[in-house]
Amino acid sequence: MQDPDPRTLARARDGDPGAFEDLVRLYQADVYRFACYLTRDRTLAEDITQEAFLRAFRFLGTFRGESRFSSWLLRITRNCGMDALRARQRGMEDRHTVPAPAADPTVRAELDHALGSVTDEHREPFLLIEVLGLSYQEAADILQLKVGTVKSRMHRARIALSRALIDEEETGEL
Amino acid sequence: MNCRRAQAALSERMDGEHLSSRLAGAVDTHLARCSRCSAFVRDAERLRAAVRITPAMAVPDLVEPIMAAVAREAHARPAPERPRLAPVRTLRRPPPLLPRLGPAAAGLLAGAVVGSFLVGGPWHRPVGEAPIALADVTRGVVAAASGLDAYRARFSVVERNFDPRVRFRELTLNVWFRAPERFRMDVSDHTSYPSRDWTPNDLSLVVNRSRWSLDGPTACPAGIHSCPEARTVVLNRAPFSSATPVQTDLMVPFGTIAGGQRIRLLGQTRVLGRPAVELELPFQRATPLFPFLRVGGQWRPFFAADRVVLSLDAATWFPLRFEVFPSPSEARDQWELRFGLPDEASDEPVLTVDALEVATRVPPAGTFAIPATGHAQDEAAHPVALDELPKGFAGPDQLDGLDAYRAARTHVAERAGAEQTVVTYAQGLTWVKVAETHDWERNEPYGSVDRHAEEVEVPGGGVAYYEPASEDLGRRLAIHTEEGELYVETNLSRERLLEIVAALGVEAAPLPEAWRVRKAGDGVAVRVSLEEALGEVDFPILLPADGLPAGYVLASIEVVRLGRQSGLNAYFSQRDTELGAQPIRLHLEAAGELSPAPAAKQSAVEVRGREGRWIPDRSQLEWIEDGVYVSLDAEGIPLEELLLVAVSLAPAGVQQEGTP
Repeated sequence: MQDPDPRTLARARDGDPGAFEDLVRLYQADVYRFACYLTRDRTLAEDITQEAFLRAFRFLGTFRGESRFSSWLLRITRNCGMDALRARQRGMEDRHTVPAPAADPTVRAELDHALGSVTDEHREPFLLIEVLGLSYQEAADILQLKVGTVKSRMHRARIALSRALIDEEETGEL
Repeated sequence: MNCRRAQAALSERMDGEHLSSRLAGAVDTHLARCSRCSAFVRDAERLRAAVRITPAMAVPDLVEPIMAAVAREAHARPAPERPRLAPVRTLRRPPPLLPRLGPAAAGLLAGAVVGSFLVGGPWHRPVGEAPIALADVTRGVVAAASGLDAYRARFSVVERNFDPRVRFRELTLNVWFRAPERFRMDVSDHTSYPSRDWTPNDLSLVVNRSRWSLDGPTACPAGIHSCPEARTVVLNRAPFSSATPVQTDLMVPFGTIAGGQRIRLLGQTRVLGRPAVELELPFQRATPLFPFLRVGGQWRPFFAADRVVLSLDAATWFPLRFEVFPSPSEARDQWELRFGLPDEASDEPVLTVDALEVATRVPPAGTFAIPATGHAQDEAAHPVALDELPKGFAGPDQLDGLDAYRAARTHVAERAGAEQTVVTYAQGLTWVKVAETHDWERNEPYGSVDRHAEEVEVPGGGVAYYEPASEDLGRRLAIHTEEGELYVETNLSRERLLEIVAALGVEAAPLPEAWRVRKAGDGVAVRVSLEEALGEVDFPILLPADGLPAGYVLASIEVVRLGRQSGLNAYFSQRDTELGAQPIRLHLEAAGELSPAPAAKQSAVEVRGREGRWIPDRSQLEWIEDGVYVSLDAEGIPLEELLLVAVSLAPAGVQQEGTP
């Protein structure tokens, strides 16, 4: 994932709306994709994308370049995603209804199910590294884990997801 | 090797991690014999294919709703409170650290400052009544920088409008320096905060050759005032590392002043009882003066166009006072709203830094000590003894009057395995860094030099590629030679940099052909000379005759080809320093009309007697002229200045280049 032009970033930090808009243009696809995979719900992902950028705008003054900007932004996205999922869960409990998540039609159904069947602990590093193409270090920055932990979770995610994918395909073939 | 270890290593290798040759060998041997591990690789690759073959996800364009929410947020912030009597602080100017002094006491303070100056030395300028020019200041400051071996100063800092509940903050700034690379800057916060939960803005930055440390409150979200303290230590720091620099401009502002662009000499005055020269420059141009705002802690925001008034001691060129005044503009008013700041008057400083004591005294031993801690970052520069340097470009003891200081071997950025040797030279606050590598494989200039950099002639022969100083980097040259790649960076002037390269005696070659070509979208851009460009495009090439903002020069030209279409980009960059102003790009191509509006915010502007379009968010001015589409863009340059560039455009002829 590319780094923003440091000048754009500096201007955005100084409150230049044009510069912040450039950052939104640069990262909205990655933020949205990550939110989509995290929640498997496109409508929710749109809300999360908006909320993530709004929080980024609010806290941009506190970003000090200790991780890459993209990692910082995806960390915010992840937090927004967690909040949204928790809120949705609470909503379900309150209303005792289960809104059908609008699954993404462009994601292969088997993969979608496989991703849904593994734990967050496995899904998250897999999404960041395999789907978004980030490095171990970036994934570690986003998930706030040690690089070694990310490596071993990625390894276990591959085993869990391969198994789940095979199960899905076998079920599908019946 | 068991399956678990083998699969863990295989998983890492799939993700592009480098395995040691021993581990890779063991894994491959195991893999060849193990069906379970082969199945793991097969499944993991199927999984990868499943993810990657998935059609690209359609992404909705959310820019508008996001920016609308951002605008709402900016407006919804609580309106700045009207001043009211607060229990803790008075709302007028606070009592400064030193009590406001009457004339007699002020004299005493001035005496204290004067007494602690050890004036003299090669940079000492006799103080008289003779008028002074900006060039005198520049020369004096550079000379002072080379002559400074030790420094010790104490400043008071008063900051306004940090928070609606904390209108004034009072801090002390202490600075110590020992040439070439020992530096310490401590900020102590004396503010009375509304409660004990607020973290005081106490900071300590220490640079000691190969070590660097920063202690201070961590960044925490706006509105939260209790931020945990953190300590960062960097080991194996590269000599004159740009990531962890010595903050030289606080002592002698030669980086800020060099080049002189957008700096105004206000006149001669007296500050703290000493003869001083007063300069004025925009905040964005003055950031090196305020390193404490950048390194950490919590500070109020400053607007790029705010006015900085800097008073320098007329004898020693040390800063005695620097103040930031709000710029009187509508844009700033909007910016104030966004940051929840009150209406700030343009004649009242929002930050004042006053020298209380300045001396060229050697700091006591122990000032720069950096204790080792458990959590250290590694900049991975491995020291090399100066007398054990491999035979290369850099000379052993001295380079153009600077003494050899420290050498290291480091990795070439973004290329595992590729190494470079960095040799540094120093004198006072000034330094030169010479890096060389024989492992360069990228088709672009080596080091922190862009492919659009200006081609300059090296005295003594050959050409090199030059970039002006930026906030983080010095003036620098990339030099391509038959034997390898060379990169020279310095905080000295452009002229000195060229002299230094001449002293190295290298045979600088032009960029290889392959390095002149880059992919530009679906097309290809090739860097050419103006003469070549004239032969390659079938529209007249317009170039600014004399309308460029001060300090700009033509850096490079490239011809862009997409199918049978061709266009031209010309880049204009700063000659000396690009703080706060970016390169200007001129784009030309044959076209009948402007393309549909690319952005919501735009306005019609008359350019050269035609109707043009101004897109403020991109700082882009564009129009059609005699069948040619012309676009000028540059971040940070206002429309008025771009219009001046536009007005001065004239068809370029071969006779313009190279002839006196």
